[in-house]
Amino acid sequence: MKRVKRGKGFRLVLLGIFPLLISFCLWTGEVWADNSLCFGCHQEESLKKQDARGKGISLFVSEAEFTKSAHGKLSCSDCHTHIRDDRHSEGGKPVDKSVNCALCHKEAEKEYLQGLHSKMIMKGMERAAYCFECHGKHNIFPSKNPRSKTHVSNIEKTCNRCHSDIEFVKHHALGAAIPGEEFRKSVHGKSGEVTCINCHGSHNLRSLIDPKSSIFRSNIPQTCGSCHSDITKQFVESVHGVMAGRGRSDAPTCTTCHGIHGIKAKVDPESPVNERRIAMTTCPQCHAAERISKEYRLTTTPVKSYYDSFHGLSYLGGDTFSANCASCHGVHDIRPSSDPNSLIHKDNLQKTCGNCHPGASENFAKGKMHAVASIKGEEFGEKVVGWVRVIYIILIVSVIGGMVFFNFMDWLRKTIERKP
Amino acid sequence: MVKKYLRMTLNERFQHLNLFINFTILVITGFALKYPEAFWVSPIKDVPMGMTFRGFLHRLCGVAVVTLGGYHLLYLAFAERGRGIVRDMIPKWKDAKDLWETLKNNLFINRPAKEIRMGRFNFREKFEYLGLIWGTIVMTVTGFILWFKTEWLIYFPMWAYDVARAVHFYEAILATLTIIVWHFYSVLLNPDVYPMNWAWITGEMTEHEMKEEHGLELEKTKAETKGRLVEFGEAAAAGGGKVYPIPLEGQGKSPKSVRRLYSLIQNLNESIKNWKGL
Repeated sequence: MKRVKRGKGFRLVLLGIFPLLISFCLWTGEVWADNSLCFGCHQEESLKKQDARGKGISLFVSEAEFTKSAHGKLSCSDCHTHIRDDRHSEGGKPVDKSVNCALCHKEAEKEYLQGLHSKMIMKGMERAAYCFECHGKHNIFPSKNPRSKTHVSNIEKTCNRCHSDIEFVKHHALGAAIPGEEFRKSVHGKSGEVTCINCHGSHNLRSLIDPKSSIFRSNIPQTCGSCHSDITKQFVESVHGVMAGRGRSDAPTCTTCHGIHGIKAKVDPESPVNERRIAMTTCPQCHAAERISKEYRLTTTPVKSYYDSFHGLSYLGGDTFSANCASCHGVHDIRPSSDPNSLIHKDNLQKTCGNCHPGASENFAKGKMHAVASIKGEEFGEKVVGWVRVIYIILIVSVIGGMVFFNFMDWLRKTIERKP
Repeated sequence: MVKKYLRMTLNERFQHLNLFINFTILVITGFALKYPEAFWVSPIKDVPMGMTFRGFLHRLCGVAVVTLGGYHLLYLAFAERGRGIVRDMIPKWKDAKDLWETLKNNLFINRPAKEIRMGRFNFREKFEYLGLIWGTIVMTVTGFILWFKTEWLIYFPMWAYDVARAVHFYEAILATLTIIVWHFYSVLLNPDVYPMNWAWITGEMTEHEMKEEHGLELEKTKAETKGRLVEFGEAAAAGGGKVYPIPLEGQGKSPKSVRRLYSLIQNLNESIKNWKGL
C-alpha cells in the first residue's frame, strides 16, 4: 500500500510540473516535435516504394542527419502536410506529394516564382530545379554552415550537378558550355569567394534573354560592377560602354574581352586580356572583323597597319615592351579620338606617346597614326612611303634580276667552255 | 710548284671577317623583326626576352659595322696598302668595257671568247665594294634615325621617320640579295674558284685565279718580282722554300707575325693536301 500512496503523490507532482513544462516550451517558442513515429518506419534503410513507372524510390530518412539539420526541430508533418495513401493513417486531403516550403519561406518563394527555374517547371520540364534540388531534402543546413549545399564553397558543385552534365546541357539546349570546368579554373573559382549566384542570382535567377536578368547583355557591366565598381564606372563612359548601354548587340561588354565562366587573371597567358593576346585576338576579334567594321564604318586598317608597324612586328615576335592596342587606346576607358578625354585625342596624344618615349615631341602626334604605305594614300606621308616602296622594288628587281642574269650566263659559258 | 699571290693581308682578312660576322647577325636579327612568324625566327621568339635581345643585338652589330667602317676609312687614308686600294678601286672606263666584253663573251657573241685582262680589282669587285659603301651609308643613316626617333622627330615630321623605316627595310633586302647573288657567285659558285676562293682565309690566290680575274695585276706582279724569288723557310712545303715576295709588305716593319700565321695556314693546307693516310 505504501507503494500506491507514493505513486499517487508522484503523479500529483508530475501533474503539477507538466503545465509548467508546456508553458516553458511555449515561452521559448520551441516545441520539441516527436517524430519517433515516422522514424519508426523511415529509419529502415531498405524502405522503398514504387512510383507510377515502377521505379524504386528510397523512403529512408536518416534521423541523425535530420535532427542536426536546420529543420531538425520541426515535426515531419510540418512539411509533409498531406500524406495519404494505403500505408499511412486515415485522414488528410488527397495526396499532395510536394512539400510546400512556402508555408514558411514566403519571400524566397516570391523570388523563386519570378526566376527561370520555376518557369521551366511550369513549362513541364522534368529536370528543372525545385527547392530541394539546390537546398536538399532532410539534410538542409543554413547557408553559413559549411555542410550546406548552399554554402559558398558548395554552390558551384550544387549548380553543376545539372549544369555541367553533358546530357542535361544538350537536352536543354544550353549550347556545349560546361561552365563547371571553366569556372573552377577561373580567377573567380579559385578565389573561393565568388560563386555562380554572385552573377546569376539565386532564387530569382533569370534567363539570358530576360531584360531584368543580371546576365542580360546590357546589365553585365552592372553585375560585374557589384564587385568591380570603379572599373564599371570607367567602362560605362567609354565608347564600348555607351554602345553596350544602348543595347547594341555587337558592342562589347565585360565578357566579350574577359571571357565568361573562365575569366582568368591578366597575367595568365591563357587569359584573353593577357598582354600577349590583346593585340592578337581580343581587339581584332571585332576590329579586324568584316561584319562589325562594315556596320560601324570602322576600318580594319588599324589592325593591319599595327601588324606592319615596329610595335606590331615586335609584338608578334613576343616582345612585351612594345606597345599593344591598350598601350595607346586605354583599357576600360577607351574613347573615340574626338573625345577630349580620350588618350588618343590630338591634344593628349603627345602625352600618350611620351609614356614610353620620354621627351616625345609634338611631331609624334602629328599625321596619321595607322598609316598604310600606298601611292594612292590619303596622306602625304603615306604617298611618299608608297613611292619609296615602288622605286625600291623596281630597283631591287632590276639590279638583282640583272645580277642573276649576268651570273647565270657567266656560269653557263664557263661550264660549257670547260673542257674535261 | 703552286704559285700563290697575296690577296688580303691579315688585317684585311680580319676586317672582312668582322664584316662577315656582323653583317650576318644584322641580316638575321633584322629580318627576324620583319618576319616574326617565319620558322627560323623561333629560336629568337622562344627565348624569354628574345625579341628585346634581338633589338639590342641588332644595334650592337650596327655600331660594330659603323666602327669598322670608320676604321676602314682610316686604313684607306693612312696605310700604304689602304691608299693602294683606293687607287686601284676607282672606277674607270675600262671597267665598263670589261663588263660589256664579259657580257658579250657570256652570250656567245664573241666567238671565241675574248680574253679579258683585268686589274687588281675587276669590275665585279669595284661594283660590289662601291655598293657596299653606299649600302653602309644608307643603312647607317636610316638606322640611326630609327634608333634615335625621339630626337629625329623633334626636327622632322613623322612621315620622314616612316620613309627611313621603308628605306632601311628595302635597302636591307637589296644588300642581302646582292651578297647572295653577286658576292656568293663571285667567290663561291664561280667555276673558276669553286668551291671557294680561299683568299678570305689564307689571304692568297692561286695563279689560275689571278690569271682569270686579275690578268693585268698578275703581269704587273710578275714583272716586278721577276727573278726575285726569295728564300722563305717557313713556307717550305708550299713552294720548295721559295715564294714570290709579298708586294708592299716586304718593306713593312713587322710583317713577321703576319707571315707566321700566314705560313702556318699555308703549311696546314699543304699537309692536308699531301696527306696520304696512315
